[in-house]
Amino acid sequence: MAGVSTPHVLLGLLATGSKHGYELKRAHDERLPRARPLAFGQVYATLGRLHRDGLVATAGHDRDGGPERTAFALTGDGRAALDRWLSTIEPPMPYVTSTLFAKVVVALLVADVDRARSYLIEQRRAHTARLRELTAVKTDPSASLDDLLAADFAVAHLDADLRWLHTTLDRVADWHREVHS
Amino acid sequence: MRPAALLRLALAGTRTDSVRVLLTALSAALATLAALAALTVLAIPKPAGDAWAQSEQYRNALLREPGLRGGTAFALLLLCVPVLALAGQCARLGAPARDRRLAALRLAGATPGQVTRLAMLETGVASLLGTLAALAGYLGGRELFDRPDARGQLALPTDVLPSPWSMAAVVLGLPLVAALATAVMLRRVTTSPLGVTRKANRERGPRPWAGVLIGIGVLAFAVGGSIIRYDRSPDGPPVGTLLALLAGGGLTAMIGVVTGTGWISHTTGRLLRRHARRPAALLAAGRLTADPWAGSRTFAALLAALIFGAGAAALRANFALQDQLTREQNRLVGVDEGSDPFYLATMDLVDLAVAVAVAIAATGLLVAVVEGIVARRRAYAALVATGVPRGTLARSIAWQSLLPAIPSILLALAVGTFLSRGLFGEVNQSGTAHEVCDASAALCGDPATRPQYTRIVTSPGVSRAPEVPWEQLALLGAGALAAVLVTVGVGLLFLRASTAVEELRTA
Amino acid sequence: MTQLQARGVVKAYGRTPALRGVTLDVAEGEIVAVTGPSGCGKSTLLHCMAGILRPDAGEVTWRDQRIDLLSEGARSRLRRTEFGVLFQFGQLVAELTAAENVALPLLLAGTGRREARTAALNWLEWLGVADVADTRPGEMSGGQQQRCATARALVTEPRVLFADEPTGALDTLTGEQVLTTLVRLAREQRTSIVLVTHEPRIAAYADREVVLRDGKIDQTGLGLDVSLAGGQR
Repeated sequence: MAGVSTPHVLLGLLATGSKHGYELKRAHDERLPRARPLAFGQVYATLGRLHRDGLVATAGHDRDGGPERTAFALTGDGRAALDRWLSTIEPPMPYVTSTLFAKVVVALLVADVDRARSYLIEQRRAHTARLRELTAVKTDPSASLDDLLAADFAVAHLDADLRWLHTTLDRVADWHREVHS
Repeated sequence: MRPAALLRLALAGTRTDSVRVLLTALSAALATLAALAALTVLAIPKPAGDAWAQSEQYRNALLREPGLRGGTAFALLLLCVPVLALAGQCARLGAPARDRRLAALRLAGATPGQVTRLAMLETGVASLLGTLAALAGYLGGRELFDRPDARGQLALPTDVLPSPWSMAAVVLGLPLVAALATAVMLRRVTTSPLGVTRKANRERGPRPWAGVLIGIGVLAFAVGGSIIRYDRSPDGPPVGTLLALLAGGGLTAMIGVVTGTGWISHTTGRLLRRHARRPAALLAAGRLTADPWAGSRTFAALLAALIFGAGAAALRANFALQDQLTREQNRLVGVDEGSDPFYLATMDLVDLAVAVAVAIAATGLLVAVVEGIVARRRAYAALVATGVPRGTLARSIAWQSLLPAIPSILLALAVGTFLSRGLFGEVNQSGTAHEVCDASAALCGDPATRPQYTRIVTSPGVSRAPEVPWEQLALLGAGALAAVLVTVGVGLLFLRASTAVEELRTA
Repeated sequence: MTQLQARGVVKAYGRTPALRGVTLDVAEGEIVAVTGPSGCGKSTLLHCMAGILRPDAGEVTWRDQRIDLLSEGARSRLRRTEFGVLFQFGQLVAELTAAENVALPLLLAGTGRREARTAALNWLEWLGVADVADTRPGEMSGGQQQRCATARALVTEPRVLFADEPTGALDTLTGEQVLTTLVRLAREQRTSIVLVTHEPRIAAYADREVVLRDGKIDQTGLGLDVSLAGGQR
């Protein structure tokens, strides 16, 4: 599960404040608990790439030195890259993998309410439109058995995505109500 | 809707519906028999002679003496009232399922008028079958029991037939009234095609219109009573008006008591909810406020019989007082006469009527038990399935039935007493003047010595109100409460069997 | 061309508000899905638009006629001629056979028994349940019952069909059959369909979706409110 989006997840985690490498790994595993735990090597490799691309910068050394003790922070470019990532919806074609999960989690984490709102609304709209397309394929009298099997598979997964999205929002709202009441 | 379709929809029903139709027909038959009997007695022609001439063709004093005869007729007529309560109770048997069916019809596009007509058809036809059967039985019985004994006297008035118009009025009028009553009771069902799936709980509960109805009934009886007492016309009091007043007043008062229990149940529920802490009581409070008419449906016949019984007890007190006054007066004059056989015979009549009323009440309770088993199955099974222990459920059912029963029984007894008091009023004994002989009969007989040895003893007119027959009323009340207990107990015995989870299968 | 309109419909059950002012237009031959979480008022909206309930405020117009002003009898007649209703359960009369149930709206409207039965059997066959025509609902499976209910909703060839969770008690394929039938109806007969559901998969059969939340239309579709501020976990 820790695949395509790891760089962006790390960017998102850094958006809440600079962290050491060790802290980053712990935060990642905490926020995405079912994912395979991020290996330190992968953390540093990703951080290295991000650093090379100018999206993160080192924020100071601890006296003891060593890469685990180096703190990293988002640069302006990094923040822009994160924003761009959060503004693009995941095309639901034929179904969406853990990228959706990572993006929603980060969206809820980042303190920009309007950004998160518009992303979620757009994502839902895309999912719903795709569902409608696939259902039209199913109800087409000329659909072959293969068409139906593929469409069913895609519909089932998209349906699951949407339901999870709704449930997540309800849970977060409940959690907020409890914490802030 | 074509008649064939109407018929098909009217006949659609389960076993419970068939039982309901049967019971409705039976109680309609009973009411018709009582009414026809009353009409027959009233139709006995006045024999030649003065106002006190007796109809010699009958063996039974109840039919022979004009004074008793009127009482017999009225008693028979008043007996119709508890029978009608029984009929009303039977008509509600299996009502929830029937109402659900009607709601489904409404959803399919039946207008409220169509649905009402359907229910009216069922009740009307059932009642008509009952009244026609009763008519056949009556006419047959007339032939069968027309057996004059050795002296040529008849046991029953089989030589008299009421006017065809009055018979038609009863035989055709009763089904009509039943159908109209059904239409009125269905009002709530017909307005909502969603049945009872979602309904805002009426926080106010039933309004106390019952009090008004009871008041009207008591007033009618009082007016009837004064007509009887102050009547000076040579032909006797106007029978038609009296009939209307007493029958109508009795019916109104009974409806008032039965609907009054609705208000009582709802208020009891509200009070219970405020003060109850244990789950059984809370469950009972909830059911009482949600469905306050359950009690009136199951105990209508019992309450009507109680009214009758209380009225009879008051009447008996009245006659006992009358008898006592007469005896006192006689004693003043030196004559030690026993009680007038008139009163004894009337007492017998009253006792007979009360026995019949008790039988009606028992039948009503039986029907109530049957309904409890048949109709409440689903609701109780659902409760047990959600984890309510059977013991708690049993206790809640007991609370729910007994708690409103006590004030309802008291109300019925009170109304019966008031009705009777209004009708018969105080006991009046007019003053008399007697000639008393102080010496031997010969001296008194001789006109010369008569004024010396006789004196006139006058006893003043006395007017006293009879005492309220507390003991008898208490007996009636205790008996009714015991009957309710037994009914609840029997229902609870069946509870275990009827709350099996299989009962939850919806059709 | 809009056939059916709801404007500012308000409805409450006792003190509990169910609808707080909903406006919805349905065109001829259009399938509209009304979705939302439980308790959002979607069934109530359907009942108000079908004339089963009278709204406390607002208007419901059908072909330029205000149906919320009609009498109970007139609205009942509408239900057996121009409108069809299909619910999740509880609409078949348990004491009648399937054929009689399906023929019911026609019988209530005054059609002769033989004619009504023929029409009923035709629709039962179209929905593939002709073999249970003379059995009672209690003896059928849920899927068969629902198909009979669908036949009853369609037997009068309605202009608008109101369906409330019609596939809730059915398995996927049976539900699909029912929904495909409804889509065919909309395309071929230009019947408007108002479909209430809480499942996205079912709502996808519609041409457009309207999301309700707490008795009002929710434009975002997600019930998002201000409490979405992130970073506090």
